[in-house]
Amino acid sequence: MSAKTKISVVDLRMEYVDENRGIRHIATDGLTLDVKENEFLCVVGPSGCGKSTLLSAIAGFLKPRGGTVSMDGRPILEPGADRGVVFQEYALLPWKTVLENVGLGLKLRGVAKAERDAVAMRFLDITNLTHAAEKYPHELSGGMKQRAAVARTLANKPEVMLMDEPFAAVDAQTRLTLQEELVRIWDENRLTVLFITHSVEEAVFLGDRIIVLTPGPGKVRAVVDVPIPRDQRHWATINANPQFVAIRDRTLALVRGLEAA
Amino acid sequence: MKTAAINDRNSGIASLRSLVSPRAWKGVLGLLGILALWQTSIPLIGVSEYFYPSPAAVARAAIHLVKTGILPAYIGDSLGRYLAGVSIGVTLGILFGLLIGFSAGASRMLSPIINFFFAIVEVAWIPLFVLWWGYGLKVILVALSYIVFFPVLYNTILGVRSVPQVLINAAYSLGATRLQLIQEVILPAALPSIFTGLRLGAGFAFRGLIFSEMIAAKSGVGYLIFEGASNQQTDRTIVGMIVMGLLWLFIERIYIRPLEALTVDRWGLATRAEDRE
Repeated sequence: MSAKTKISVVDLRMEYVDENRGIRHIATDGLTLDVKENEFLCVVGPSGCGKSTLLSAIAGFLKPRGGTVSMDGRPILEPGADRGVVFQEYALLPWKTVLENVGLGLKLRGVAKAERDAVAMRFLDITNLTHAAEKYPHELSGGMKQRAAVARTLANKPEVMLMDEPFAAVDAQTRLTLQEELVRIWDENRLTVLFITHSVEEAVFLGDRIIVLTPGPGKVRAVVDVPIPRDQRHWATINANPQFVAIRDRTLALVRGLEAA
Repeated sequence: MKTAAINDRNSGIASLRSLVSPRAWKGVLGLLGILALWQTSIPLIGVSEYFYPSPAAVARAAIHLVKTGILPAYIGDSLGRYLAGVSIGVTLGILFGLLIGFSAGASRMLSPIINFFFAIVEVAWIPLFVLWWGYGLKVILVALSYIVFFPVLYNTILGVRSVPQVLINAAYSLGATRLQLIQEVILPAALPSIFTGLRLGAGFAFRGLIFSEMIAAKSGVGYLIFEGASNQQTDRTIVGMIVMGLLWLFIERIYIRPLEALTVDRWGLATRAEDRE
């Protein structure tokens, strides 16, 4: 992988204050990593390692206490449409239909209704949701909500898609389907993806590379390459793939701190 | 013959039933009962018409007031003042609610002042208002908007502050400006709360309307009630009181419930809670 660096995180220190107890927590300290252009990068680590905080810093929701976060060499100061975010809680607007939710980014940019509906329908097609276009989010299952959220992010044509444990709230069966769909969708719409998860299996299944963080405050413990071809990534067969099993077991050991990097 | 008469009466009741919904039917029965009690109590109590007017006298007064055009004009005046006053109060309440709920700086600056004025009830202002502007529309409008302002304001602030942060983050990540955020996320999310405020304020303001018309107007339902009593036309006073009740039922039916059905019921509070899971 010799692609150019898309996002650069250098010596990042993030803190948050526990309002109830007045205690200051250090989420990450001295965290340095690169996200390469058009790669699918997964970040795994035990809970409390600051992986979601890292995503918030890149998205521009939280300001670093130290270090820098930059994209294409420019520091990230606030949220922006160049970095689309898919949240664990879906974050669909309950008063808008699925179609209106998916077209929201285009609406904010002033695209006319007919055109944004057409674009939204195209991305609903990609995410197998055309039948739900006129429904409201509360009428959808968790899996459908997350498909709609992915469609909303992609329809807005971001340069980077940040995904914060997006499949953690859906049931196990649906999760497998969504992971396979994401592999397919990403194949058809290449963009830079940063995918946060606590599931090692998920990370190995989806990622080109995996960054393993230490328990909080989070630092990079190891970087694992996943050279498994995209067309082999199906749940029906991948567990029989010795490469997958080996990478999964090694990564799991790294996350649990059993193996030195 | 007898059965025919009964059938006739039954069909009369049936056509009345189709006019009034089955659930309202019992309410109508209760109302008729009260009217019957009222009429029969007149000879039993035996005081003069002035102290205790009969339903028949009240009905005559009502017919007279309608025929002369006084009552329709008064109802029009009251309704117009009410709607204008409430609209001003709601608009200001929402604007300041958004400002205070959204901006910590504005909150720190405005909250103490607003809390202070909240404690000074509108009735306390009226003598001063009358002194400044005399009797008339201005006093009534200011009093009504003052009454509506606070419940709308406090509920708007509450609504704005309880918008899930993840929805705000999502909108910003899709490229929303601050103004677009308010328009697409904050306002719709706060709408159920704003309606709670509007409902409260609308009820308070209706009482305020009648009260301020008694003091500061030369027309309207409140004026009718007050003037009737001072001119020994208590039948007119009671007409005014009945119209007051009916007017509120009308306002609730025509303005408040349809507004709620349009917004809150469509996607419901439940869907908001669910989206936060």
